[in-house]
Amino acid sequence: MMLEVENLNVHYGAIHALKGVTFHLQEGEIVALIGANGAGKSTTLNTISRLNKPTAGDIRYRGASIVETPPQDIVTKGIVQVPEGRRIFPKMSVVENLEMGAYIFSDRQRIEADIEMVFGKFPRLRERRKQLGGTLSGGEQQMLAIARGLMARPQLLLLDEPSMGLAPIIVEQIFDIIREINQQGTSILLVEQNAQMALSIADRGYVFETGKIVLEGDAGDLLEDPMVKEAYLGGG
Amino acid sequence: MNKQSLQKSAGSGLVFGIIVIFLALIGFTVVFSGLIQKVLGQSLGVGQIPSISNFFIFLGFLGIWNGWRASRQDKHETLTLAKVLMRAAVAGLSAGVLVMLYGFVVGGLDARGTDMRKYLSMLSSDSIKFFLFNQSLVLGGLIHVGFSTLMALVGGLLAFGSERSQQQVRTNRTKIQKWSQSTWLGKVQGNPYVTYVLMGIVLLLLVLLPRTWGAYWNYVMGTVGIYVLLGLGLNIIVGLSGQLVLGYVAFFAIGAYTFALTTSPEPHNLVWNFWIALAVSVVAAALSGILIGLPILRLRGDYLAIVTLGFGEIIRILLKSDILKDFTMGPRGVRNIAGPTLFGRSFTSDVDFMYLIILAVLLSIFLAKRWQESSIGRAWLAISQDETVAQATGVDTQKYKLLALSLGAAFAGLGGALFASRNQFTGPEDHALMVSINVLVLVIVGGMGSIPGVVLGAFTLKGLPEILRELESYRLLVFGALLVVMMIIRPEGLWPARRPKLEVPVGQDNEPVPLPATAGGEK
Ligand SMILES: Nc1ncnc2c1ncn2[C@@H]1O[C@H](COP(=O)(O)OP(=O)(O)OP(=O)(O)O)[C@@H](O)[C@H]1O
Ligand SMILES: [Mg+2]
Repeated sequence: MMLEVENLNVHYGAIHALKGVTFHLQEGEIVALIGANGAGKSTTLNTISRLNKPTAGDIRYRGASIVETPPQDIVTKGIVQVPEGRRIFPKMSVVENLEMGAYIFSDRQRIEADIEMVFGKFPRLRERRKQLGGTLSGGEQQMLAIARGLMARPQLLLLDEPSMGLAPIIVEQIFDIIREINQQGTSILLVEQNAQMALSIADRGYVFETGKIVLEGDAGDLLEDPMVKEAYLGGG
Repeated sequence: MNKQSLQKSAGSGLVFGIIVIFLALIGFTVVFSGLIQKVLGQSLGVGQIPSISNFFIFLGFLGIWNGWRASRQDKHETLTLAKVLMRAAVAGLSAGVLVMLYGFVVGGLDARGTDMRKYLSMLSSDSIKFFLFNQSLVLGGLIHVGFSTLMALVGGLLAFGSERSQQQVRTNRTKIQKWSQSTWLGKVQGNPYVTYVLMGIVLLLLVLLPRTWGAYWNYVMGTVGIYVLLGLGLNIIVGLSGQLVLGYVAFFAIGAYTFALTTSPEPHNLVWNFWIALAVSVVAAALSGILIGLPILRLRGDYLAIVTLGFGEIIRILLKSDILKDFTMGPRGVRNIAGPTLFGRSFTSDVDFMYLIILAVLLSIFLAKRWQESSIGRAWLAISQDETVAQATGVDTQKYKLLALSLGAAFAGLGGALFASRNQFTGPEDHALMVSINVLVLVIVGGMGSIPGVVLGAFTLKGLPEILRELESYRLLVFGALLVVMMIIRPEGLWPARRPKLEVPVGQDNEPVPLPATAGGEK
């Protein structure tokens, strides 16, 4: 098993944001986490990459617990998060952003090769290589955020709402790339508001509601589920 | 000519008139003219009224500015000569007439023997006569009107010319670039030998100047050098790693006192070797950076600023208090601090000390530059822009923030030790809040994150006030105004850190392509 999250509880002060969340992800899967705003999806990702600390529960990566691992070591283990909201480094150029993504590596040649690799996936970024991150368009920033995540050579990629605020055609492209990344061997945990899109590329999915998982299943089944249809797919 | 634009010109002229009157009321016309006189190298005794020609220079600047402002009303319109001259003339005339009226009022009152100083302490009879160019009421007023109009016209012409040349530059930019690359100038730029020659000249100056310009300037420039050290350190903390630390003086104090207490006969009778004490001071400051850093690592932004502000004050108050009196001599401070020695020879003359400070500055610049350009610098930059994301890319943010604090503190420690050693004394008041503020301001004025900016900022902040000393009590006011003006003209600092600016791809993809067309994996 690649990732097992067991009875995860997270508090922000008095707010009980995650109330015993349990799920897993197999090697090679795309797993979608869907749910309304504030349901705890981002919190889950942040806790896996240790930007948050859980108050109870366990997270195991390939069998070993990582709840006590500091965030920089999580990255070295191959779990990389692309945070919500296109958070690129605004005052670094595209190339510098990518180099930051490879911060844990020091082999110059390999980094150069990886930059070429992600430019292959996002040709748009190659055109903008010297432009400052902050001056990119929203879509370009999201591409850069994902590309930067890839630079750390993730085995498990945590994507937080890659489609947020983007035009439909770009969403399609980004999801194509996510599928491609997955086919090249990276497992993906995908948080999405756009349930339709997420479930269409995912193998399995979990539905969050106020800090709990209320539904889980194969992506195809969830797409057909009346409750999911009602709540997240714009009526049934 | 459209009426609205002329009304606008008249309005902006009146504002300038009011500015001139205001400056006259607070006595600045005299002060500035005096300053110009000094800058031009003529002497001027205290309280003496400067010569009229300098007043003309002062008014000339204001007038030109007035004309310039009035003639450029809309960024998007193309200026014609007639438009510009009309606007400038209207602005100059309205400013001049307003000033003339003011001249009539104060001049008239003065002629009737009213002592205006009862109401405004700067309005002496002399200064009023000065304002009227030592002429009669009417003639003085008319000179104001005429000169103001004339200068505004000059300003308008300048605006017109600069607008034209900018248009030229815009259309010819690529041409000029190509041309300059093919000529001598282009070859000189980017040629490493030119850099070496320039560095050689600077080095030569650094060697020669301390010997020639006398003890006073060695003292002033020594202070500038110490502030360069402080600026380099705070630049690492604030400019690079993005932690707004306001109590920076704490590290300066720790450096100064460590050095003082280990080299002064009183109170501990430790008389360590200069260099050992210096090294210990630097290390002590660096350690204190870590100690102070540990509890505050989680704080960000305003909270960090406020908490660290406290540290600076706590140290000063502790030093001053009776609690530590036996240990640090309390408010009296530590005297007879040792100067530098080398191979048994002590070299404490102002020239020697200047050299020592120059060496320290050069070494520090070298180190700071190396750190900034290494992967450490990258990590700092990432932390300063988005700490969470930096963490998500695998940067050990805690470690690098602590590292920034302790390295920054080390520079302050070095500065403090040199400062104490040079003055042979240090007391609590050397370590007041003002030091922190000054250093922060110099980093901001110079340009956050920029090493040349720090040097320039230190000169501006610690050298310029010495030059402005002539202005006596107005010094800080003028200085503040200068800072404000500077930040308006160069909001990113005098010498901003060189980050790549938006760069439009050149060549065949020059046209911005609509995003969907080429984005994503196709192509
Ligand atoms: N740093 C924080 N401090 C306090 N409360 C927080 C913090 N971060 C999240 N929360 C709260 O925890 C709950 C879950 O938030 P989370 O960001 O995980 O939601 P989400 O499912 O990602 O929502 P969205 O789809 O809107 O991004 C929310 O009620 C939120 O207000
Ligand atoms: Mg979220």
